[in-house]
Amino acid sequence: MKPKVGFFDFTGCEGCQLTVLNLERELLDLVELMEIVEFREISSDQGEALDIAFVEGSICSSAEIRRLKAIRARSRQLFALGACADTTGINALCTDRTSEQLVGEVYGTAVGHLRYRHPRPLEAFVKVDGRVPGCPIDGREFLAILQSLLIDRMPELPTYAVCAECKLLELPCTFERGVVCLGPLTRAGCDAHCIAEGDRCRGCRGQVDAPRSGPYYRILEEHGLSEEDILNELRIFNLSGEKRG
Amino acid sequence: MDKNEALQIQPRPGQPEKQAGPGAWYLLSRGDIDRLVRSLSVAYEVVGARMKDGRYTLDRISDPAELELEFPPRVHSPKKFLFPNWEKLFRFRLGGKVMLEAEKAAVPRVIFGMHPCDLHAVQVLDDCLFEGEADSTYQAKRQATVLIGVDCEPDAFCFCTSLGTDKIDSGFDLFLHRSNDGYLARVGSARGLRLLRRYLPEIREVDNPQLPPAGKSCQRSIRFPMESLAPVLGEVYDHAIWQEIGERCLGCGSCNLLCPTCYCFNVQDRLDLNLQGGERVRTWDSCQFDQFTRVSGGSDFRPDQTDRQRHRFFRKYKYLWEKHQRTACVGCGRCARECLAGIDNTEVLNSLFAEQVAAEQSPSPGLEYQPQMAELLSVDSLTGREKLFRLRLPEPVSFRPGAFMQVSVFGVGEAPLTIASAPDADGHEIELVVRSKGSLTRALHRLKAGDAIGVRGPFGNGFPVEEFVGRDVLLVAGGIGLVTLRSLLLTILARRGEFGRVMLLYGSHSIDQALFRDDLKRWHLGDQLDCRFAVQHFGSQWGVTGGDITHLFRDLDIVPARAVAAVSGPAVMYRNVNPLLFGLGFTTETIYLNLERHMKCGLGKCGRCQINDITVCQCGPIFPYSQVQHLREAIER
Amino acid sequence: MKIAVQHLARIEGHANLVIDSARGTLRELRLEIVESPRFFEAMLKGKHYTEVAPIAARICGICSNSHTLVSLCATEQALGIEVSEQTRILRLLLAHGEILQSHLLQLFFLAIPDYYGVSSILPLVRSERALVGHALQLKKLANDICRIVGGRPVHPVTPTVGGFLRLPEAAELQGLRRDLVAALPDLEASVDIFAALDYPDFERETEYFSLRGDGDYPIFGRRLVSSAGVDCAVADYQQVIEEYLVPHSNAKFARLSGESFMVGALARLRNNFDHLSPMATQVAAALEVGPTTCNPYRILAARLVEVVHGVERAIHLIDDLLLAGLAPEELPTPKGPGWGAAAIEAPRGLLFHAYRYAADGRIEQADCVIPTAQNLANIEADLRALVPQLLSSGREELTRQCEKLIRAYDPCVSCSTHLLTVDFA
Repeated sequence: MKPKVGFFDFTGCEGCQLTVLNLERELLDLVELMEIVEFREISSDQGEALDIAFVEGSICSSAEIRRLKAIRARSRQLFALGACADTTGINALCTDRTSEQLVGEVYGTAVGHLRYRHPRPLEAFVKVDGRVPGCPIDGREFLAILQSLLIDRMPELPTYAVCAECKLLELPCTFERGVVCLGPLTRAGCDAHCIAEGDRCRGCRGQVDAPRSGPYYRILEEHGLSEEDILNELRIFNLSGEKRG
Repeated sequence: MDKNEALQIQPRPGQPEKQAGPGAWYLLSRGDIDRLVRSLSVAYEVVGARMKDGRYTLDRISDPAELELEFPPRVHSPKKFLFPNWEKLFRFRLGGKVMLEAEKAAVPRVIFGMHPCDLHAVQVLDDCLFEGEADSTYQAKRQATVLIGVDCEPDAFCFCTSLGTDKIDSGFDLFLHRSNDGYLARVGSARGLRLLRRYLPEIREVDNPQLPPAGKSCQRSIRFPMESLAPVLGEVYDHAIWQEIGERCLGCGSCNLLCPTCYCFNVQDRLDLNLQGGERVRTWDSCQFDQFTRVSGGSDFRPDQTDRQRHRFFRKYKYLWEKHQRTACVGCGRCARECLAGIDNTEVLNSLFAEQVAAEQSPSPGLEYQPQMAELLSVDSLTGREKLFRLRLPEPVSFRPGAFMQVSVFGVGEAPLTIASAPDADGHEIELVVRSKGSLTRALHRLKAGDAIGVRGPFGNGFPVEEFVGRDVLLVAGGIGLVTLRSLLLTILARRGEFGRVMLLYGSHSIDQALFRDDLKRWHLGDQLDCRFAVQHFGSQWGVTGGDITHLFRDLDIVPARAVAAVSGPAVMYRNVNPLLFGLGFTTETIYLNLERHMKCGLGKCGRCQINDITVCQCGPIFPYSQVQHLREAIER
Repeated sequence: MKIAVQHLARIEGHANLVIDSARGTLRELRLEIVESPRFFEAMLKGKHYTEVAPIAARICGICSNSHTLVSLCATEQALGIEVSEQTRILRLLLAHGEILQSHLLQLFFLAIPDYYGVSSILPLVRSERALVGHALQLKKLANDICRIVGGRPVHPVTPTVGGFLRLPEAAELQGLRRDLVAALPDLEASVDIFAALDYPDFERETEYFSLRGDGDYPIFGRRLVSSAGVDCAVADYQQVIEEYLVPHSNAKFARLSGESFMVGALARLRNNFDHLSPMATQVAAALEVGPTTCNPYRILAARLVEVVHGVERAIHLIDDLLLAGLAPEELPTPKGPGWGAAAIEAPRGLLFHAYRYAADGRIEQADCVIPTAQNLANIEADLRALVPQLLSSGREELTRQCEKLIRAYDPCVSCSTHLLTVDFA
């Protein structure tokens, strides 16, 4: 009996599901190992009991809460797929304003029947068994996590920071060219992708379990960043206010 | 070696030229090296430094022209070829046994461009990985890899010269020295020679290689011999410096990952896509990572960066040194070079060492013998030969009654003088009694208020006043011995309510020689203590007992069970008084004696005050009887 | 008869379709957008120009490259930055990569199941393994373009204000070119597959709105045109597109001169048929799609024409890059404050970003108009025209045909920068 797997999405860009679909080389093999019973983005099937549910996106309305709880109720294991589901990701950027302010800014007028809540991660509403971090997720990491789940082994995420992977790739530290990088705080597992591509780490994978914030902020201050600058750095992916500890 | 002189290598006497082996030299041009690379590429994977994305890296060389023989120390270590981060240990089938897999020999490889420090690092890896049961995966790579050294120019982070790892005589197959007309290849192994002979048969051996002067210098250094490092570290396990760097450390593990000698690893199973099988792989790990020392149940025996950084230093510089007598650090500077927090091994080690040395050697020799200058506030004559000096000290002091100062006059000398006043909260002023009897005390007697006087101290172990609290106190003083007991008495009087009965028995030769007569009179007339006197030479109007002090014991009403006795006087007095005290019921624990001697240093060193095996200046001069009863020199002489 | 399709499948984002009819007449038809709004314009406010494109990319995972590129263009317009020819070509190549990727995903993964009578591509993995393998092959090639130029297919890393943070290596481009050329036979097979599909016979003329290419089929451009006579500069987009709220729906709709208009592959193709590559022109003929096609189901065919055009164009762009040789460039320094607007032909059609920057390089005001928002009114108008013809065919067939039509547009409601939502419960 192949494990039944479902993919679900809430408020987000669906880039994580797309990243799964972008595993072109592995997709045909993967399909042999499990029964994908639900994948709304590419399928109109609606399944029943699930062994694994991968859920993408943040939760922004009571309808979404109901739907999420229903998915949880019929899934043996539920995994957050990507930053929006895991930590609220980029969606949290708007939580510094009230919903009325947001509507006002975007539409010019308040709309009476709007039922908008600030986006929240899955675990604000249901038990989450694990997560695939990142914005977007890393395809290879998703594969490894899925493989673990398929042989009933609990997947483990790296506990070290992106710096380690950056060093293994022999990349020069961005701080050397005066560019602030969130690599020292951010959980590894992406192979320092953005740094390898010439950018810096923006922290999309969330922080390691025990981030060394104190020493890191001191280094940022030495590089001339104010407290507000540091918060701005973290705000893009790491200041949802209800991120895991 | 003289920097201005070219290195001269003398061929070993008697060695026939044609049988050149390790130690032989050949002259190569860059063209020869290119040809060597091209020829080696047939049988070997040739690795060397080349430019990639604007920086140097050790990588596969496909075109000899890419190969750089001069490159900065910053390049990542060749460890990645000998002990790679991702190494398959074996393959398995899920639910099955270990899969039998044809033994895959290590790829034959030539590494061009081993800097001397990296060659030293390979020796460290050999020490560690060949120890006990040799690591076969490493061994296979090690055997299949030809190491060709090149020289390098230290940068701001290197400190190889202070470790002696800036040059190397063995551990390579060939070593290429840059010379004026190409490269001088030094043969380090039979394999190295074979390769040269085979692929460059026409090159010529050089008998007298003229190497350019080797003048490496590093900005950073370890400023002490490596041998003393392990003992130094042994002393500083709890040093604050670990916390200081621990609080700066980001725990990123870069120091370990970049280190050419770090080899700690993790073992993981990687599954094939079809979930039928997989492989067990080892990957580099770091003692700075959170998971590294976590044990089942979640506890962690090295839970924070303070512990982890200390461990890194201890392992590199102490544990492995003690095991292999080789430093596990080769001074390549990679850890500090890429540490975002700026943790620098040389800085840490030098400061620890400097501190240790400072603790052992006073920064200015003789400082502990130098007196500080005190101001003489007043001088009062007590008798014809004793004067009371009141001093203001430059630094406040605290002491127990019975302690002494070393008092000096430059040009005359120094002598110990018991403090006659009680310790007070301010601690700036003390009183001393000076009896004029030698040249120093005579010189002191000539001083007047306002003069400066040299003092050291206080020294010595005084009366345990706190143990006297709540008890009756019997003070027995003879002659100048009263000075010591005055300090104790004034201390008690200042806290009078905390003690029971207080009794002073004082004996002196004559009334004229009695010290502190005004005090004695006041105490005698007051109701704070019972004060009795005895003089041997009678002739005064006061009601004084004639005879020696033992006469005062005759009608002594004291309850010894709740009393202590403090006795201070000449040895002869002890011999007479102590039996009386025991007769009254005092014990060896309740009698305290003042055993002043002529201490020269006050530091327990000079030996002048040593009574049998005890130095008075350190252990005394106030002792409970029990502590000195077995000392034949204490009372009996 | 009441039909309510909750969470329409095989589209990006969440939408419901509600149809209410009685006695053969359509009483109500609504395309409801239930995707929660994400307020990207509000999120961008106060953000530094270096952060704007990475945030804007997250508007949509399917067309993150288009959002990134148009965001960079708008920022560069606002901050007075000119990019080099090398950057321009690389960006074009990247945009083509994304259009290829998105179109192939839509054609094979989202649309084909409708025509094979299955719920998804997954059952086809066994029954039509060759077709699926061939689709994956092509899709991978498209993603390879994005990987090599942009760093990764979803949320690109290398494009930055003024240029690129990392350039592709010549060897990678050579490999890509080889693969693209090798893919041409696969494309031929695709054309056969899509030429053989039984497109429903439904036509409705509307207003077709797109960029007008200047000597090339448009990706980036300065000129907006419509089949109903709009012809203006991109910077004036806010004057020609009227966004409005309609009482029966919760999404912001948009109109030009008429009640609705279409953007996307078919609109582009109709307005720029003369700029198609030679191969693409042949394919258009084979698929019976051209400047007068007004059957929305045939947007699929238009997409495949664009795929062929994209492959051919990508090969030429790579040739241009290899010929000139890639050279690292100094990134220009921006000069603020300023306002700038830019448009790109994203896979689903015209995408606008406009920003006003303060002197400190931070955004004061942002506006993003996404293709699907522009198409919504047109989809509804199509459905209104279609449903009466099908009311007699039964609930199931009606639903199927409606969903098929909606999917033909490949609506992407994930891009809900400013779609409204309502709690329908």
